[in-house]
Amino acid sequence: MAMERHERFSLPKVWKPRNVGEAWSLKRSFGSDAEYVAGGTLLRTWWEGEVAERPAHLIDIRSLPLLAGIRIAEEGGTGIGACTTLAEIRRSCGLAAEYPALPEAVLQIGAYSIRNVGTIGGNVASGIGDALPALLVYDAELLWFDGSEERIAISEWLERPEDCRRDRGKLLMQVRLPDRANAVETPTGGGNAPFSVYRKVGRREAFTPSVATVAISAGRTEDGRLERVRIAAGGGAAVPHRLYAAESLLEGKTPDPDLLPLIHEAVEETFRPKGDVFAGEEYRKRTAANLVAAELWKLSAGRQGKE
Amino acid sequence: MIDNRTELAPAQSRLTLRVNGAACEIAAPPSTRLLQVIREFIGLTGTKRSCEIGRCGACMVLVDGEPVNACLAMAYQVQGAEITTIEGIASGTELHPVQRAFLEEGGFQCGYCTPGMVLSVKALLDRSPDPSDEEVEEALSGNLCRCTGYGGIRRAVRRAIELGR
Amino acid sequence: MLLDRQGSGRRWRIRPDGPGKVTGGLAYLTDMAAPGMLIGLVLRSPHPHALILDIRTENAKRVPGVRAVLTHEDVPGLNAFGIARQDQPVFCFDRVRYVGDAVAAVAADTLEAAERALSLIEVDYAEQPVLDSPEKALAEGAPLLHPCGNELHRTDYRLGDPEQWFKACTVIVEETYVTPRQMHTYMETEGGLFVPEPDGRLTVYSPTQHGFMDRLQLSRVLGRPQSDIRVVSSPIGGSFGGKDELNVQPYGALLALAAGKPVKIHNSRKESVRAGLKRHPMVISMKTGADAEGRILAHRVKIVADTGPYATLGAEVLNFATEHVIGPYRIPNVDVDSVSVYTNNGMSGEFRGFGGNQAIFALEGQIDRIAGRLGIDPWELRRRNMRQPDDPGPLGQPIAPTEGAAQVWQALAESPLWRERSQGVPEDDREREHWIKTGIGAAYIMHGAGLGVGIPDPAGGRLVLAEDGKIEAVFGYEEFGQGLIATLELMMMETFGFEAEDVRIVIGDTDVVPDSGSSTASRATSMLWKSVQNMKGPFTESLLSAAADLTGNPADQLRLGPGGVYAMPEPDAASGNDAGSMLLSYAELASRTTEPIRAETAFHFPTTSSKRIGAHFLYTYSAVAAKVEVDTLTGRVRLLDQYHAVAAGPVMNPQGYLGQIEGGSSMALGWTLTEEALMAGGRYLTNNLDTYLIPTVAEHAGNVAVRPIEELPEGDAYGPRGIGEIGSVGLAPAIAAAVRDAVGVWVRKLPIDPRELQDIPHFARKAVLQHDR
Repeated sequence: MAMERHERFSLPKVWKPRNVGEAWSLKRSFGSDAEYVAGGTLLRTWWEGEVAERPAHLIDIRSLPLLAGIRIAEEGGTGIGACTTLAEIRRSCGLAAEYPALPEAVLQIGAYSIRNVGTIGGNVASGIGDALPALLVYDAELLWFDGSEERIAISEWLERPEDCRRDRGKLLMQVRLPDRANAVETPTGGGNAPFSVYRKVGRREAFTPSVATVAISAGRTEDGRLERVRIAAGGGAAVPHRLYAAESLLEGKTPDPDLLPLIHEAVEETFRPKGDVFAGEEYRKRTAANLVAAELWKLSAGRQGKE
Repeated sequence: MIDNRTELAPAQSRLTLRVNGAACEIAAPPSTRLLQVIREFIGLTGTKRSCEIGRCGACMVLVDGEPVNACLAMAYQVQGAEITTIEGIASGTELHPVQRAFLEEGGFQCGYCTPGMVLSVKALLDRSPDPSDEEVEEALSGNLCRCTGYGGIRRAVRRAIELGR
Repeated sequence: MLLDRQGSGRRWRIRPDGPGKVTGGLAYLTDMAAPGMLIGLVLRSPHPHALILDIRTENAKRVPGVRAVLTHEDVPGLNAFGIARQDQPVFCFDRVRYVGDAVAAVAADTLEAAERALSLIEVDYAEQPVLDSPEKALAEGAPLLHPCGNELHRTDYRLGDPEQWFKACTVIVEETYVTPRQMHTYMETEGGLFVPEPDGRLTVYSPTQHGFMDRLQLSRVLGRPQSDIRVVSSPIGGSFGGKDELNVQPYGALLALAAGKPVKIHNSRKESVRAGLKRHPMVISMKTGADAEGRILAHRVKIVADTGPYATLGAEVLNFATEHVIGPYRIPNVDVDSVSVYTNNGMSGEFRGFGGNQAIFALEGQIDRIAGRLGIDPWELRRRNMRQPDDPGPLGQPIAPTEGAAQVWQALAESPLWRERSQGVPEDDREREHWIKTGIGAAYIMHGAGLGVGIPDPAGGRLVLAEDGKIEAVFGYEEFGQGLIATLELMMMETFGFEAEDVRIVIGDTDVVPDSGSSTASRATSMLWKSVQNMKGPFTESLLSAAADLTGNPADQLRLGPGGVYAMPEPDAASGNDAGSMLLSYAELASRTTEPIRAETAFHFPTTSSKRIGAHFLYTYSAVAAKVEVDTLTGRVRLLDQYHAVAAGPVMNPQGYLGQIEGGSSMALGWTLTEEALMAGGRYLTNNLDTYLIPTVAEHAGNVAVRPIEELPEGDAYGPRGIGEIGSVGLAPAIAAAVRDAVGVWVRKLPIDPRELQDIPHFARKAVLQHDR
């Protein structure tokens, strides 16, 4: 009964700051004795799995006004408040039309009831969440509060592991997605519509930890060449990252099947997964490479008609 | 940056919520699990304790109509909410159609997952009365059943859809 | 005909325990509470293997609200338990042998106080080398975990001269099969309520599969007569073999008696994982040879089972596996060597299938490989080797003859799924996403029921007309979800003509039920049937003769019916209403009769005349086909379709039968694809359901067809055979065969490692080779 034992021993106090500044100040004063909590679904598994110790103080950030909701940003693009639940993202028609890989990624996180409570902020701030590859290929930015607002490209933030540490006290406020020129993707990726896709492989058909995740997005020129190609991978405890070598092989090219062996090789060589007792690094690399190649093959087949 | 300097105090151990339509006021610390509030403070044991990390669905309840794992939700997160437990969906002695469907199709064996399963199905049919197989899988993949292999559960869902027509 | 609701008509019934289950109104034993009850907790070893140097409890005892702190010094009786062999300490005193080992227990007014006290118990350990595999435990110089050494049990079976006959074989297949540590994952973790009664007795409300065995074991531990203990053991939120052995009961009982107050214990999932039983991991090496026609001539097997720190039923599981590696085949030369080894890993023990799952996965793998090597259809190969009705059992023992083996073989051969295999998959389906490969495979199973030779296997029950007029069916069996109550109710209705309202089922309480033996080993339904058959004549007679006395009608002019006793219809009553009229309700009969009306039976589960320990007499046969899809991009397998033919005699309860096969196959699916309770250095790496993954509804998108074969030979006296386990046995080898059919890879280790089935798609290969596998 280790779990409940700890809980009853020192049931955390709950603080309900009224604004971002108060939340941040509380975290500053408690340091690692406190944790920002929105849904708390991921934290619960960390506490149980002894990945993290249950803190003495919980700072409830759900009611902070700037952290709620999905809205069109003033400068274009879309802002998703950090406390937006995964269920809200899954249901958002606007996101589905413009950034389809994101709701697709979210659909495969947790289970229905978990998504009712878990938030995009928690998924992102974990540094390993399965939504991250999708956000990476849409060039998302993160808006943090650290005494003042800070904006950083998600790819850059993920490359700075020290910044991902929860005890630093930074509060994630918003995930911002740049305008995709009101891209409405057709399901097959036909014509010149932009294209994006997300795939997750886990250890079970549903409600599973990920083993490998990949996301791809690209725009397409009138003559059918790919532009602004983004490919990202993650999964499990790996920090998701972009696969620049694979991207550059495709940039400005038509999705030609002849490129696929090179891209496959590039993904295997550049993806940095984290192996564990359930799946080794080699398997994760190959899976990511196969998925990327297969999605691009479908794209090329879609362009050329059946192979 | 801090525009309001008023001293904050931690949240109080006073939880008000509605459970199956009845108002409750409970002296539970704010980070108590909802599961414990329901089972120990209120004494409704149809909500089951099993994994306690949101991975099995045995403690599923409806919070304002939507399924939530009661082991994950903390008291302060459901302040003022309307909670529906398995004890709250029949009208008097008249079973809810989803309960009837599970009974008729044998959508249970040991029954320990059944309250959570029934609530997840109820919430599904409330928002989507004629769901596709994919919707059913999406709605139920957080409710584990070890006995049935889900055959009876799938048949019960189909039966409940028919009963709802 | 396939089993379903429509085809079952009125026999498909609402379970008597259903309303309580769908409304949440049914209180499980872990839902119970008593006024003034204490919360009990157990302190378990932090080390997989260590010597205990000292245990100090003074500080724990001083915590306000603590009512009892117990160690090995506080066990009045035998400080050990175990169904078969009592080698598991209630409280360790000199040594801990696994991370679930109990060292102390606490009862306190609140959970908080109990937790605090537990944290203040000081134990000095000296860590010892961890024997985390059978190899290490059997190695020269390994520390001995028990005085008898590190072998719990060794057994063998020999027939003919395999070495000589291997020389005559056209094909010899050698393979080593590896199966995982599977967790029962009953949704209700172990727990219960323990109440010291005013009269000095103790009532134990805690799930188990055999209340009387718990009572016997507790009486040893407590040093009290069994009559001082009452065990209430149903309803149960799932067990699958995992709650047959004692778990929290000794601690709850000792704490309640020490504190003089009711004590509740309910394991967290994490504690359940840590302390609870699992399916034995086994490594099974086989060498099997056949002639050119596919007749198996010689079969050599070595089984190594990791039984963990204590015996429980490890020896019996090994005996079962030894019997089932020979299976439904006539093999003239056999040599099986088996050993079950003590280690510092988690506890292994009883689990649905009881060692048959591992054995049959390996055996069926051999049969498929031989067929593949010889180019013979794998199902045809099975036909050429199958046991004939009058053949002895796998260990040469006489068994109850049935046509089951041939019946299930034929049913599968004619099944749509197997026909689809011989017809092949249409090319169209292969094109769309050509990295998806489908395949179909099958397995052939013979699975024993009952505890086998040499183990007391009592059965029996009682029927009583109660004072209120209810017909009470009183049995010492347990309801853990399988539908035993529903089956018994239907049996009473169909045997006697009662209606459901006439009958009251009484089970799961040692104070009121007879010892009917355990609800394990696929035996309960068979034994219910036999009991009811035994009691049918005498009970009917005593009801009717009492009715005759009261009504003045001759007994042979009376019959039992819904609600009461009826006059036989007039022979010439041609009118539609031939039901006759009810003369006397059962309530009237009960209130007016002076003699008690009851029948009782006690007998032994039928066993073979062989002296071979563990050999079985009654078998269920099954043939299973599975269709899978392998995504070669990821190596992941999805189950698309299943067909089960089961020859187990008449279907006693259609809903229960279907549920057992469907549910059993789901456990097999998990064992095959996702489930493994991983350990490293004697510690679990999968501590909860976020890492230990059982199937979800999404795993079960495919169809499951169940075809029961009900015919038994004329004059068969044994009636319905068990079906509680067989659904969990055949799917794994069928999936392995289907995977081979799909992608050409032989699976030898479970759960299937996707890496073995993964491939780079042709379009992504460096030198593009245009061959589609």
